[in-house]
Amino acid sequence: MSALLEIRHVTRRFGGLVANSDVSFDVAPGEIVGLIGPNGAGKTTLFNALVGIYPPSEGEVIFNGQPIAGWKPHRIAKAGLTKTFQNVALFAESTVLDNVVTGGLVNRSLPEARALAARILDRVGLRAIADKRAGDLSFPERARVEVARALCTEPKLLLLDEVMAALTPIEMEEIITLVRGLRDEGMTFVVVEHHMKAVMKLCERLVVLNFGEKIADGTPEQITRNQKVLDAYLGAGFSTDAEAH
Amino acid sequence: MTRSHPLARLLLVATIAALAVVPLFLDPFGYALRILCLMLLFGALGQAWNIVGGLANQISLGHAAYFGIGAYSSTILFGSFGLTPILGAVVGAVLASIFALLLSIPTLRLKGHYFALATLAAGEMARIVANSWTSVTGGPVGISVPFRPEAGPWALQFETALPNYYLFFAAFLIVTLIFWRVKTSAFGYRLRAIKENEIAAEVVGVDTYRVKLQASVLSAALTAVLGTLYAQFQFFFDPDTIFGVATISVKMALIAILGGVGTIFGPWVGALVIIPLEELANSWLGNSLAGLSQFTYGVLLIVVILLNPRGLISLAETLRDRLSRRNGQ
Amino acid sequence: MQLLFTLLQTLLDGIMLGGVYAVLAVGLSLVFGVMHIVNFAHAEFMMIGMFIGWLCWHYLGLDPMLGAFVALVVTFFFGMLVQRFLIRPILGAPQVAQIFLTVGLLFALENAALMIMGAEFRSVTTPYQTQSVILFASGPERLLVGMDKLYAFLMALASGAAVWLFLNKTRFGTAMRATSQDPMAAKLMGVNTNLMYAVAFGLGVGVTAFGGSVVLPYITASPAIGTSFAVLMFTVVVLGGLGSVTGAIIGGIAVGLIQSFSALVLPIQLQNLALFAVFILTLALRPEGLVARRRS
Repeated sequence: MSALLEIRHVTRRFGGLVANSDVSFDVAPGEIVGLIGPNGAGKTTLFNALVGIYPPSEGEVIFNGQPIAGWKPHRIAKAGLTKTFQNVALFAESTVLDNVVTGGLVNRSLPEARALAARILDRVGLRAIADKRAGDLSFPERARVEVARALCTEPKLLLLDEVMAALTPIEMEEIITLVRGLRDEGMTFVVVEHHMKAVMKLCERLVVLNFGEKIADGTPEQITRNQKVLDAYLGAGFSTDAEAH
Repeated sequence: MTRSHPLARLLLVATIAALAVVPLFLDPFGYALRILCLMLLFGALGQAWNIVGGLANQISLGHAAYFGIGAYSSTILFGSFGLTPILGAVVGAVLASIFALLLSIPTLRLKGHYFALATLAAGEMARIVANSWTSVTGGPVGISVPFRPEAGPWALQFETALPNYYLFFAAFLIVTLIFWRVKTSAFGYRLRAIKENEIAAEVVGVDTYRVKLQASVLSAALTAVLGTLYAQFQFFFDPDTIFGVATISVKMALIAILGGVGTIFGPWVGALVIIPLEELANSWLGNSLAGLSQFTYGVLLIVVILLNPRGLISLAETLRDRLSRRNGQ
Repeated sequence: MQLLFTLLQTLLDGIMLGGVYAVLAVGLSLVFGVMHIVNFAHAEFMMIGMFIGWLCWHYLGLDPMLGAFVALVVTFFFGMLVQRFLIRPILGAPQVAQIFLTVGLLFALENAALMIMGAEFRSVTTPYQTQSVILFASGPERLLVGMDKLYAFLMALASGAAVWLFLNKTRFGTAMRATSQDPMAAKLMGVNTNLMYAVAFGLGVGVTAFGGSVVLPYITASPAIGTSFAVLMFTVVVLGGLGSVTGAIIGGIAVGLIQSFSALVLPIQLQNLALFAVFILTLALRPEGLVARRRS
């Protein structure tokens, strides 16, 4: 089966700083890929390059057969690729429902988007707080709204950036079940997460970044035995806690 | 989304009914009716500003440019070619839209203070052009709308202020309706998303540039039409008032923010407070000491912001929320 | 030969003018740099400085170059009060509130001046107004600079240098820069950030008032003068980058040159138009304008 996402030699510079250097890997439809690496490895930068916030300085991104590098984020979202924000970027003054509805408007009319948003809120377990102001929520709730809003764009591929940070084990389990279920319905995920146990549990494949470069790509078993990866994490400590940046 | 309280709905119907009936009891040549006319006109202007300034939080301080373009277009076309101001308004709206499009090229990516500064400068550019392009605009001395009552209603000129009042009332209701349609549609969702987090809006599929452009053009066109109405009502204006920062641009924005920025009834409240206050200040203080009324205006602005940076309506909403919370739980 | 002299003269005039614009704008830049507030009323403090300079000259016989120091001190304290009672309450407020509060301040200050001083234009007479220095002469062509412009330029340079030294070489200045970069951290380090904000605002408006008095020998004072310089000052800081002293100086010289060279080819109204156009384009092209800086 051909890849849903092909990342080809992507480099992203900020002035003299190289945040991603010659990163290449593919994501097949229906995969759940974990993107891991120490703090500052360039994981969020790569997400931002993929969705078009800071497009790649060099390299190509093929999504669903189309070269999307250089497209504006809204066009990429329309094509079926979006992400959640690590530090949560909700529409704070709007209600939870309105946040989610906005995502649905990318390919749908307002009444359709409302209906879809209601279904998603049920599924993500936010029905009870649908009318609350997003800015008034707790952090775990906000992370869920992030996920719900992104889901409402009906993405083929969703990039999840640390949605499990600060969650309790039970809440984490809920997210894992949710992602797995959505995958079974045909969605594809790339996940950045610091919590290693959750990553190992959720992902069938891991890609490791260090100093902006890809240093490993394989199954969780292969990665945990990879010497380069162990070296990269030494000093930083093999983090099992959610690390705050 | 629209939490229409039964009480609020009643208040709305009562207000509209009052606005429809009250002028019949006023002197058709009187001062009070003129003030009511200006309240409706500026309420509509605040509402037009609200589309960009309120919903998308693009704080424009240059809307006088569109207002003046509307006023000059219809006046010049009517004076020189006898074209009815109704068509003149259409021409003005088109020209204002073109100006908004051109201005969007350098400004639409700007936010906050930077956008305010750039639009302020754009409004001033329009004022300079009107002052120096004497052959067309008549220059700094101003321009008069020729009085041709024989042309009938096509000239939008009336013997008394009463027909004018109903014209402005209609304009006010139409602009309010347009604002309400915008606010409650998918377009409104997108504008609010831009206001609250532009990058996130893009990432979930909002074409932020295009949405802002559409809002600017709509707002500009409406403002230009209101500029034509203002010219037909005043019969005379000059570049410094019609393109004025204080007289038009800031006043429009102030009317929208005073009553609660981005809300449907914000401009209603804003116009209800600002216009009579300004007229009173002018008639009481205007002649006694130059600058006093403008000084008062400035102080008022400061006091309003210091008391409540989010406007009067949000003050009312906070009170209502507190009350209902106390009653409900 | 004649053309060369015209160009050199224009260049010189532009630099002289630009130095003054720089000092007018340094204050604006300082206020933004430390407090992240765009003060729309800032140019009114130039007007206040001009009137203080004029009053000192009229009643005390003080030269505007000395009156500038009075203007600096008076507006410094006035600015601290304004900051304490008007600006501080809206530091964390939405930008729309900040914009309209300072716009209200603009109307209030301009019209207060109108009520107190009247609408007349006020100018000073000094012995050096009519004098000029010939820098270079060749045959009938000469390169000269008016003494009033030269003094103003030198005073502007000196005050710009003083602000720079204050910010970079004193403990107080260091604390102020720390506050501008990270108010939270500065507070934890024991910096009184409220005092920093008040002093930054007072100093910012004070320096601009100083610049106002210094230009009095060749620009007449009136209540509306501030408003007419507002866009110019904003152009200077936006060109040079908001929040930097050296930026304001570079921006000031650039605007001075734009003005003096556009005067060669454009009629007066279009010169202003050119300035506005440069302003809007600069806003659009400078990255500081594209990426809104936010305080975390």
